[in-house]
Amino acid sequence: MGQEEEVTEITVDVWLYGALATYGGEANRGSFANLQMSLPEGSTLATLLDALKLRTEERSITFINGKLSAMPGLQPDLDHVLRNGDRVAFFDPKSMWPFQYRQGAAMTEEMARAMVSEKGFGLRHTFS
Amino acid sequence: MAVICLFYKEKLKTKLVSLGAPGEGRWKRRAILSGNGITMASIGKRRLNHPEERRKDVMWILRLNMTERTYRLEEVPEAYRYLGGRAMTSTLVGDEVPPLCHPLGPNNKLVFAPGWVTGTPASTSSRISVGGKSPLTGGIKESNAGTSWGPYLANLQIKALVVEGQPKEKDKYWMVYLTWDGDTRKPKAEFYTADEFAGKDLYDVFPKVYERFGTGVAVAGCGVAGEYGYANAGIVFNDLGRRPSRYSGRGGLGSVLGSKRLKFIVINPKGAPPVAIADRALFDQGKKKLDEAIRSHDVTKPKGGLNTYGTAVLINIMNEAGGLPTRNFSSGRFEGAAKIAGESIFEGNKARLGKEVYNHACSPGCIIQCSNTWFKADGKEHTSCVEYESDWALGANCGIDNLDHVAELVRLCNAYGLDTIETGTTLAVAMEAGVASFGDGQKAIELLHEMGKGTALGRILGGGTEFTGRAFGIPRVPTVKGQSMPAYEPRAVKGIGITYATTPMGADHTAGYTIAPEILSIGGKADPLSPEGKAALSRAFQATTAFIDSTGHCLFIAFPILDIASGFEGMVEECNGVLGTKWTGEDVVRIGMEILRKERAFNEGAGLGKAHDRLPEFMKYEPLPPHNQVFDVPDSALDSVFEGQ
Repeated sequence: MGQEEEVTEITVDVWLYGALATYGGEANRGSFANLQMSLPEGSTLATLLDALKLRTEERSITFINGKLSAMPGLQPDLDHVLRNGDRVAFFDPKSMWPFQYRQGAAMTEEMARAMVSEKGFGLRHTFS
Repeated sequence: MAVICLFYKEKLKTKLVSLGAPGEGRWKRRAILSGNGITMASIGKRRLNHPEERRKDVMWILRLNMTERTYRLEEVPEAYRYLGGRAMTSTLVGDEVPPLCHPLGPNNKLVFAPGWVTGTPASTSSRISVGGKSPLTGGIKESNAGTSWGPYLANLQIKALVVEGQPKEKDKYWMVYLTWDGDTRKPKAEFYTADEFAGKDLYDVFPKVYERFGTGVAVAGCGVAGEYGYANAGIVFNDLGRRPSRYSGRGGLGSVLGSKRLKFIVINPKGAPPVAIADRALFDQGKKKLDEAIRSHDVTKPKGGLNTYGTAVLINIMNEAGGLPTRNFSSGRFEGAAKIAGESIFEGNKARLGKEVYNHACSPGCIIQCSNTWFKADGKEHTSCVEYESDWALGANCGIDNLDHVAELVRLCNAYGLDTIETGTTLAVAMEAGVASFGDGQKAIELLHEMGKGTALGRILGGGTEFTGRAFGIPRVPTVKGQSMPAYEPRAVKGIGITYATTPMGADHTAGYTIAPEILSIGGKADPLSPEGKAALSRAFQATTAFIDSTGHCLFIAFPILDIASGFEGMVEECNGVLGTKWTGEDVVRIGMEILRKERAFNEGAGLGKAHDRLPEFMKYEPLPPHNQVFDVPDSALDSVFEGQ
């Protein structure tokens, strides 16, 4: 066996939109913030939220690598394990994504399962 | 066509038998519809006339004969009584326009119809539908806008205004002034020459029209794009600030108006009676429910998503989803998206003005108020409004990430009378052809001026996206039935691809809104994740959207009525209150399907069949970054949307 490179940290490309830009610190550009976050290997989305000091209730629509992972009131992504180079985007509660404009769009596996089990098959704009 | 028309009428008659007489002697309020105000309030009460008399008050079809410059008033036929908005325009076009006529010839007609509740105190309901044969698609077209012009037309007791014929003189323009004749209790039309308004920037012309007729009027018309006969010319309406900024943009209907040499239709509603409401108590109950739903939903409430960020709130969302068409649909992600997004408009205005600016209403009585304004660095207004579709078409799809350039392009579309979506997608095809570089905002502005001046290049661009693709030999042309796709990439969002392909309108993002969770049952037992299930959902979305397009409500009530059941009930009760009908949720789908059948029958007569219910071929073989997907919904699923319906 060859020697495997040991990765102890991962870097995540984080986008914070709208009011959430304030959690970007120096990267805050007013309407958005884009920052590179270093996290321990094995970190989950919840770990990232902790590192940002962003309470999960304050975010709504969320994407991991362009895949929908959370909607308002439906957050099956807290245990999602992040990988090096992942792009994660958080939107504030004023954002929206109507069903007709997301029907058939990419979702994380957790989100796809959560949507199927939702009453109304995930047609809604908000979930609770 | 005639057979289908009769079938439709018979179905309506059957329904009417069971409706019962509208209530008598109820109190009604008059809506205040000032050119500057945005509220509807009670300003007085009077007894309604006997229902039979009242019926005469509310039901006119006004025909403007542009060959002779005369007009005729007809009482609305019994079978048309319960039509409004899109149901009215599509029925009239289907009944009266030869499907094979030339869209810019004398046999095409342009129909304007307010919705069922337009002109009443129903909130967010000032939509006007415009219909005709489309110069862009060659099929039927309905395109609606929010403006005071809609309720003013309803106040004149006009259920439909039909512009027909064509002057023999091609070098003269006309305008029509509509008022209420209190003596005869009928609307009245006067024709004037409008040559002095032709060939000019609408921002220069609108103030002169208001100067002539007073600030209490509403204006519909066309810009130079309509005069030139461009296939991407829209019909302009005033907003509440008297800007030429509200458009029935899609499908080139502005050129149908221009082909009839009708530059403006001005309405003064002074002295006109209010829109009759058959059952005031039921109407009030429905309005209360719908208002509460709109005011409490996160998307539509005051200082909520739409009121804060406008429709451009979707730029960042679609970009993250990998579904924001970029540089002529060659990618689903734009690196400059965050710079032109709704959040950036809000924060940019705050930085330039030193205060937060929330959005305003486009039309009387709107409580969502999603229209934004972009301000220049010196604090002066640049343009209103930068909608999501305009922002995307003239921004991301052209590779432009400068909001000042995007705003100027929007302003020029308003000035010349162009559809912002079709214009942006046309520019992107021209950029791919090398006419300009992607991202070159200044050159894009120059190209808009070419269109405004009517140069040879401008006229090619005015022909629309598909025409420009042919002129320059470009195969990547994102159109269906000749109309360009809006801002949702069907390779990333496959559900909307089904609607783009199959709607009678050509690619249209407003053709299939999600209205009520109950529509899931319409698909029967089909798995909503299967192609057949998605097709069934698209059919249901299209039917319920056709209904809302007939109510006169803005489509954005879809957000609260989907999530809040009482909101949906309220919408239906408002309609029943105005019309005296007893419709239920099931009727919403039934009526919507009847409208779609009518539209598809017209298209069939015009030569548009299954082969036209397809997305452009390149989407089947070009994977779209970042998800690298092609559009793989089988043709059989597309055909199943309306098969046997």
